[in-house]
Amino acid sequence: MTLLATQIRAVLLFYRTVAPFMLGVSALILLAVLLPAMHEGWGGGLLPGLLLTKLATAPVVWYLSEQLRPDQYWFYFNLGVSRRRLWGSVVLLDALVFLGGAVALRASLA
Amino acid sequence: MSAVAWNPVGPQVLEADGIRVAFGQRQVLANIYLQVKTGQIVGLLGRNGSGKSVLLQTIFGARSVADASVRVNGHRMVPAFHQRGLLNYLPQVPLLPPALPLRQAARMLGVNLDEATASFPALRAQFDYRSGELSGGSARLLQTLLLLHANTAFSLFDEPFSGVMPVHIETLAEEMQRLKQRKGLLITDHRYAEVLPLCNVVYLLHQGRLLKLEGDVREQLRDYGYLAH
Repeated sequence: MTLLATQIRAVLLFYRTVAPFMLGVSALILLAVLLPAMHEGWGGGLLPGLLLTKLATAPVVWYLSEQLRPDQYWFYFNLGVSRRRLWGSVVLLDALVFLGGAVALRASLA
Repeated sequence: MSAVAWNPVGPQVLEADGIRVAFGQRQVLANIYLQVKTGQIVGLLGRNGSGKSVLLQTIFGARSVADASVRVNGHRMVPAFHQRGLLNYLPQVPLLPPALPLRQAARMLGVNLDEATASFPALRAQFDYRSGELSGGSARLLQTLLLLHANTAFSLFDEPFSGVMPVHIETLAEEMQRLKQRKGLLITDHRYAEVLPLCNVVYLLHQGRLLKLEGDVREQLRDYGYLAH
């Protein structure tokens, strides 16, 4: 397995461990805020603010993860992936998933 | 990370020094110097809380310590785990995420699972398990074997024999002796009776200082209060 493939797999593996909370927050924001706003016809300009709100929850997930699973990084370190790279990649991936969800929601209502 | 190209061909010398760690008022490690060469098994002994794990984690690069220097063949490598193929580390806690299938873990670490467990045929029945489904002893043994067989110049093992049954400890020790031909091992484990015969060099962490033991190691371990008899 190449270095890049290993690191992508490592990030996806790590994302799975934090996905329940991160996807839960995304679903809550999309379904409880964006969906009603779009039904009422004023959801168009809301997405940047919602994305920022979503990104603002990342430190909370990071903090909880550090407190609940402080020993979760050893495998990733052995693959040469640092904490910073793991979390940076996971936050980026989660933001893309969030945006994908918003686009899908919009498309379903169009 | 160091920009100096690291040449993985030929003998390698891993050195760590300048490591000073304090927790509050308590000085755990004071001005440590340690050396491991490929072809060597180095034992690190010390009482509970003496800082053995902290030292291994600092060398590995997972714990940031100001002024700590980790070098390979004289080239600075901090944090060392960023350097592909340089070293790996078995922590005291479980290494693998519980949901990760063993075969996938081996693939990600670049290890052939069949080859790594060739001396332990009983483990083959567990290849399709996830890490979290293994017994404590089997998980420990498999994690140690994965890192031992990974293509790194050095392996740092924190209690590799913990929970492993005696018959497997003997085979694992033989496996370490065999694989030290191509890598350097730094081992800390309280099973000194198994560790001492394996080691080319023995260090004792005592009151924050790292002492290199030469001559009658057991007698010195008794003198420093690590052994009773």
